Amino acid sequence: MSLLEVEDLHTHFIARGLDNRIRTARALNGVSFALEAGRTLGLVGETGAGKSLTALSIMGLLRAPARIVAGAIRFEGRDLVGASEDELNALRGGSIALIVQSPRTSLDPLTRVGDQLIAVHRAHRQVDAAAARERAIAMLASVGIPDPARRMNAWPHELSGGMAQRILIAMALINEPRLLIADEPTTGLDVTVQAQVLDLLRRLVREKGIGAIVITHDLGVVAHYCDDVAVMYAGSIVESGSVRAVFGDPRHPYTRNLIASTPEKLQVDRGRRPAVPPPNLYALPDGCHYRDRCPDAAELCAQAPPWIAVGDPGHCARCHFASRQGTAA
Amino acid sequence: MAILRFLLRRLVLVVPLLLAVVFFTFMLVRIGGQDPVARIAGPTATQGEIETIRSELGLDKPLFAQFAIYLGLVARGDLGRSWISNRPVLSDIVERVPVTLELMLWGVGIGALVGIPVGLFAASRPNRMFDQLSRGISLLGFSIPTYWLGLVMLFVFFYLLDWAPPGMGRVSLMLTPPPRVTGSYLIDGLIAADWEVVHSAAAQLVLPVLCVAIISAAPIIKQTRAIALEVSASDYVRYARAAGLPRRQVQQMVLRNSRTPVITYVGTELTGLVGSTSLIEYVFAWGGLGQYGLNAIIAGDFVAIQGYVLFLAMFSVIVFVVVDLAVMILEPRAALQG
Repeated sequence: MSLLEVEDLHTHFIARGLDNRIRTARALNGVSFALEAGRTLGLVGETGAGKSLTALSIMGLLRAPARIVAGAIRFEGRDLVGASEDELNALRGGSIALIVQSPRTSLDPLTRVGDQLIAVHRAHRQVDAAAARERAIAMLASVGIPDPARRMNAWPHELSGGMAQRILIAMALINEPRLLIADEPTTGLDVTVQAQVLDLLRRLVREKGIGAIVITHDLGVVAHYCDDVAVMYAGSIVESGSVRAVFGDPRHPYTRNLIASTPEKLQVDRGRRPAVPPPNLYALPDGCHYRDRCPDAAELCAQAPPWIAVGDPGHCARCHFASRQGTAA
Repeated sequence: MAILRFLLRRLVLVVPLLLAVVFFTFMLVRIGGQDPVARIAGPTATQGEIETIRSELGLDKPLFAQFAIYLGLVARGDLGRSWISNRPVLSDIVERVPVTLELMLWGVGIGALVGIPVGLFAASRPNRMFDQLSRGISLLGFSIPTYWLGLVMLFVFFYLLDWAPPGMGRVSLMLTPPPRVTGSYLIDGLIAADWEVVHSAAAQLVLPVLCVAIISAAPIIKQTRAIALEVSASDYVRYARAAGLPRRQVQQMVLRNSRTPVITYVGTELTGLVGSTSLIEYVFAWGGLGQYGLNAIIAGDFVAIQGYVLFLAMFSVIVFVVVDLAVMILEPRAALQG
């Protein structure tokens, strides 16, 4: 049994438009993946591909008009899709923890950071205030915050971005979660701080055998810090496998384009690729969703592409031509 | 210490602000195009009489010379004398301040006491029935003209139902007002232990206070709801949910973070209403500052208008200082910036 299994997850935004007609944005269209304890999965893709929405669906944090319409999310074998709000709340911040991209605005401005850590700990553990405080200080120390006992009294606005992210990591790990979801954990940070935070995150995840999902735009982050990678496009996973396999031998044309558009490659490629707007989630094309933008689209692509296993064990791509060796990268 | 420094800095800012208010009011009433002298002199006055009055009032001097004289008076704490009643404007205003404050504080107080919880509750369940209802009621409160509300209240509760006394001032005409201590008949009546006066003053207060409460509650509901919704959608509240904090703790977080913007809004509301309740005072013959200002404007009594506007500005300044102090106490960020 995997730590987390997401199976054919469909999350839609269903709302009435101004013309009073119901409009459905198919934001997630059958997302499936599994995560083993102790492994780190990188979830990549362009803005709007459904990375964060996948995280929110797992945590049960969707708010109207977003809704899971089909699929299963099994955490340690337990399906979370039908779980009650109380059950989910007990898991959130306890067994499943989240780190977000805006650490400074994610802390309550009117509460000292120490009290926030203590509140999260005591929301999930039956401990007295003194023990919770001790635990919070130990957590601050473990995320490399100097003079942690004094930092407990700091206000959120007194923290730098990197410091705030460390505190958020401490808060996420204080209840020893088994699953950690990091949604763009370093986007707002300085480059030097980014590396520090990621190193810290990797060390803690490895030490405690936590299963982690890292959502990012940055393929470099995936290459350095993740074991596996799943590439998302228009609400489904188009390619996944070990980082080495997917980056070394990408089989989906979208993956190849994504790799080709990383900054170090851009120099060479600039001007060759026309800018194409992201897919319209209200009217996705039949067949392969990437068809309109794919440089290698063919007749066959009007039919839904199969999920094809290629080369390396566990490496799969959702493309009719996945068994063909890639060329664009 | 931080509070003292804050007050000092605020005081320094207030002086040029009030100067500007004095200047613009002075100029605006004079470029309005009406000649107050002809009106004061009356229809039968000869040209000679008009000119005499004009020079008595100093209106024959150049505009800036007039302003210099007026400013000199104001600097010495004298707001001049009314052209109509020849009474000193300052003492007229001081006498009426508690009268209006009594109406305002009760009205806005009740408006806030009702409006804030309604807004918060509506925001906690957006788009549900209570929310829709409160939005409808709030819209209604926005749309009702102030004076019309007062007239309808009198028509229904005095004329038709006879539950309330007529809108003829602050205490029954049969009674002697209590000796002046605070200027509020209700409080002064209590101090004098004159129960008949207390009863009558309270009865007279009901309808006008209800009017002010209704017109202030509408925007307070709307703003409180908007503020609480914004806080609910903030990163930290969403993160608190993601951290699995109990629902009650999340709600408390929303409440605490809504506090300062709501207080600030009620302060703004209070300063805005002091001017706009003139018509309510008029309908109920309240005899407060609003009615005084309205009469001054109708009569073209420039000196009284200037005094009235200057007082409104000072009232706003005081309210905002109080609001800022409250925010300083509640907000760690504001306290640090001093």
